[in-house]
Amino acid sequence: MMVLKGNPVIKGRASGTALVTKMPMNFTASFTKPKNLLPFWRTLVQDCNHDLFNRNIKGTVLVYPATIGSTYTGMVLLEAMYQGAAPAAIIVQNADPLLVAGSILADVWFDKGKPVVEYPSEDIFDKIKTGARVEVNGDTGEIFVS
Amino acid sequence: MKLEPEQESMRSGENGRIMAKAMETVVRYGEAFGAKRLVPIKSAHLAGTFGIGPFRAYLQILGQIASEGLKVRVPTTVNPRPGYNLNFINRRIAFPKQEPLEELLAAIGTTPNYSCVCYEKANVPSFGDRLAWAESSAVQFANSVLGARTNRNSILMDVCCAITGFTPEFGYLLDAHRRGQMLVKLDIKKMDAPALGYLLGERVVDKVPVLEHYPFSRIELKNMGGSMAASGGVALFHVEGLTPEAPGMNSVFDGPPETTITVTQEDLDSMRLHRPGKADMVVFGCPQMTCAEALGLAEKFAGKKARVPTWFCMVPHELALFREHVLYGKTLDAGVMVLEYCPLGALSLRLGKKHILTPSGKLLYYLKGADYGTEDDCLRACGVMQ
Repeated sequence: MMVLKGNPVIKGRASGTALVTKMPMNFTASFTKPKNLLPFWRTLVQDCNHDLFNRNIKGTVLVYPATIGSTYTGMVLLEAMYQGAAPAAIIVQNADPLLVAGSILADVWFDKGKPVVEYPSEDIFDKIKTGARVEVNGDTGEIFVS
Repeated sequence: MKLEPEQESMRSGENGRIMAKAMETVVRYGEAFGAKRLVPIKSAHLAGTFGIGPFRAYLQILGQIASEGLKVRVPTTVNPRPGYNLNFINRRIAFPKQEPLEELLAAIGTTPNYSCVCYEKANVPSFGDRLAWAESSAVQFANSVLGARTNRNSILMDVCCAITGFTPEFGYLLDAHRRGQMLVKLDIKKMDAPALGYLLGERVVDKVPVLEHYPFSRIELKNMGGSMAASGGVALFHVEGLTPEAPGMNSVFDGPPETTITVTQEDLDSMRLHRPGKADMVVFGCPQMTCAEALGLAEKFAGKKARVPTWFCMVPHELALFREHVLYGKTLDAGVMVLEYCPLGALSLRLGKKHILTPSGKLLYYLKGADYGTEDDCLRACGVMQ
């Protein structure tokens, strides 16, 4: 078990299997495609520019560097959390207003927000690999990797 | 965060339970980024104008706000319509909630401009104004070209700020975050602003780039910015000696730039599709076109026939101006569809027309099956230019 200390951004505790990418995430490009909307809501990465293409982020601890793209992002993340299709927790190198808005909206309006921890250092990609079991504490910023 | 008495009473529920939730949302947003206070905003711009069927939470929240009788406290414009009544698929499958959404937007007091290019007429900020805008391309234009100050606010955060009249003071509202971080050198013979924007978005991601001087037109700045905010998360860029916060390199950087990159003509050319003749359709106008842009293209179409289906997507009030012009009729005669919708919305769910050629880096990023061409490449694919 390894403990990493990041910055708490959105409170809450959750655990899951890590899904790690070094590429920035464009949630809008991924989750507004027909394949994810019809006939029901899913969260397969459908951004054809991305190395997680066709991976499902539901229930994972998603680890990525930065959020890019449209201001739909917060609404997309809110909807994913509202519909129970979101990652269990998010670890990001640079927490941005769009990601944060999605989780705050889900928490304030529906009590369904997911924890977010910011971990700026590059060593995140050495310390957390896809498939690792990760527990995130959004109250303290602690990340437990086993 | 320290709240003023008015803000504290809104948060504690004196203006009702829903206003309290809106204020709580705005306060928590600020706290996540270490904001010390909330500041009043001059205007808002909302990006959520697509009544997408499977999205439920957005309409639920808007519905709660409207049913309390709450209205926006500042002038608030809205993004384009998605073209929901263009065909059966868009009306029934993609955007079945369009009409209820538009009723809710009207009920909370927004301006029905229905354009992402709100900053030309419907909602024009002044230098230094603090705003709570969504729509990545409009955010970038307001920050970079007009010198106003807004973060890249999400859909619904834009609504919460508009309803409360406040936004937290952090990020691009503060001087410290508006300084240049990355120097961009240009080694370019023939400018292609959307391609440059797309490449910069990829390389800059979410930093503040400063471009060496180039005399970009206002239209080029709009189209470059739209691309940059799609392939990247850029909210603010400067152009030396052109944009208002970059009179010179010394005044925009604190010390030497963190990094320097060079964009070459070869980089720009690598964006272009090699066989533009393959296009099933050509789409102009993402961000939406002004009348001046449409007139420039229309001259090429006058007296000819477009070889493939061709769309002009325009700002609604600019389309009204274009209709007054003799070239409008000639454009229609050439077979061009002139629309006031968002091409991304209109085309996301489509049958056939797989290969769409566009001079928009933003549409290229978001629309599956899109290819990029310079404006001339696109005109060639339409068969109206040699």
